[in-house]
Amino acid sequence: MKMLISRPGMLVSALVVVAALAMTFLPQMFATHDPFEGIPADQLQPPSAAHWFGTDALGRDVYSRVVYGALLSLATAGLAVVVGVALGAVVGLVSGFVGGRLDFVLMRIVDVVIAVPSILLSLIVVAGLGFGAVPVAIGVGIGAAGSFARVTRSQVVRVRRAEYVEAALGMGVRWPAILVRHVFPNSARPVIALAALEVGTAILAVSALSFLGFGAPPPAPEWGALVSYGRDFLATAWWLSVLPGAVIVVVVLAVNRLARAIGGER
Amino acid sequence: MKPNNDSRAKRALRFIGPRLFQFVFVIWAAYTLTFLLLHLLPGDPLIAALSVKGGDATPTDPDELRELRARYGLDGSMWDQYVTNGLAALRGDLGVSIATGQNVGDMIARALPNTAIVAILALVIGVTVSMVITYWAFVARRSWLRNSLLQIPPLGVAIPAFFSGLVLVSVFAYGLGLLPSSGSRNPLSPILPAVTLAMPVGAIFFQVFSAAVLEARASSYVFTAIAKGVSLPLLFFRHVLRNALLPSITILGLLIGYLAGGTAVVESVFSRDGIGRLTVDAVLARDGNVVQGVVLVVAVVYSVVNLLVDLSYGLIDPRIRPAGRRRVRAAHDAAVVAS
Repeated sequence: MKMLISRPGMLVSALVVVAALAMTFLPQMFATHDPFEGIPADQLQPPSAAHWFGTDALGRDVYSRVVYGALLSLATAGLAVVVGVALGAVVGLVSGFVGGRLDFVLMRIVDVVIAVPSILLSLIVVAGLGFGAVPVAIGVGIGAAGSFARVTRSQVVRVRRAEYVEAALGMGVRWPAILVRHVFPNSARPVIALAALEVGTAILAVSALSFLGFGAPPPAPEWGALVSYGRDFLATAWWLSVLPGAVIVVVVLAVNRLARAIGGER
Repeated sequence: MKPNNDSRAKRALRFIGPRLFQFVFVIWAAYTLTFLLLHLLPGDPLIAALSVKGGDATPTDPDELRELRARYGLDGSMWDQYVTNGLAALRGDLGVSIATGQNVGDMIARALPNTAIVAILALVIGVTVSMVITYWAFVARRSWLRNSLLQIPPLGVAIPAFFSGLVLVSVFAYGLGLLPSSGSRNPLSPILPAVTLAMPVGAIFFQVFSAAVLEARASSYVFTAIAKGVSLPLLFFRHVLRNALLPSITILGLLIGYLAGGTAVVESVFSRDGIGRLTVDAVLARDGNVVQGVVLVVAVVYSVVNLLVDLSYGLIDPRIRPAGRRRVRAAHDAAVVAS
């Protein structure tokens, strides 16, 4: 607690993340209007006390749409990180634990996956799977899986030579049990740190793909899609794009700040 | 000292050989990875593309479908397609687009110059700005000034390119009316996309470059130079820059990859005809042939840049040069004998 007060940046970041999470689970607590129901008389109103982020061409309240969009944006990003960690952890565990030729082959594949820019990789996956929130999440997850595989493998290689693994082996514990009970918990920390950093990247990647039109179909309020919608009104109604975009920036900055703290940087 | 029996050509080969192998490997692997992702994921690539293209008018007649498969190179077993299309790509034939019916190679060749202008401009802007900021941080006497300067570039990674692009458009195109908001005809049109792309690219370069410079700042030769009274600007350009350049150039290949991905978003924001927009349109049309072609071209560009980067190490750092290494060792031996 003392640490939070002495670091205003951390405090603000924590508040932003807590607010974003609260909006994800309890959007009705924060929203001031219905996110789908437009008021025709209130078309394209600039930000005001009644409509904090203004209204769009159908008279919908942009702030409420951003609030309801948190679920779709953050859940997709979360799913992407889960996919990336799961895929990477499995490949890394197997590669580091089995070793030898399999390790070599798997790691060369991982090298290529890391070398291909992640947005391009996500685009390939979306081209193969189709559009929607889940394909986008899988695409972004596969884009991130390479780095997770590499980090997990390096940890596993370090841990499997440790004395407690040898001791467990000497006591007659089987390999699968050693893998689950000893190797995995002891190699998890750097993976968790990387996963925390990946959350911010995933939010950006998901919103970029939704911006390009690969995410959930239009009426759904996703952050990237909201920014994309506002493009047509940029000359006359700047708030439609700029305010949802600013929300993305603030959330990503806050998430990254917290992630660096989890990673051990003070 | 042992006489060197290796011929010059042999030495050069030993230096270049593994790098050439890697060059070929990356291109092959990019082709294979894309092929697998496009074909192993559920769904028939041809049907998917045709249903986006034709809506309800999708042909269902088996004969017609067979003919279409043959035209787009999607006939035969997966292994057949993999080998035939791969060999065709080696000859420079990237197949036919399912969505437009045009030759994929031609489509990419038409889009490439527009993208290259923006990408190169973005790289120049990003690298220059991050070098200037690092220089200011290097010569700054007060630590708070240095720290706050070093805090600016990480923002570039957190700001999505579609957002910064739209803000730039609304300020410079609609607000001030200085620059065109979209298109690729106007000679000034690459400026805003390049600035947008320069932010994340510059931020990545900055992280490596500034870390290398600050590490050099703490090293003993800088300490000695300061003690001898070398001024900070001279120290930066004479001593630190060259040492910091090596790790920074290594990530140039990475930046090329980032540029290739970033143009997808930036070219959509600015409605420019380029590789990125081509990719996005191909994905929207679920046109696997174009996606495959773009990935191959990007892989070739990426590999060429990496090869050049590898070869340029020797120019910047004589210790890496194969011939230079021998000379360094000779000098070292001589010094040992002398002491």
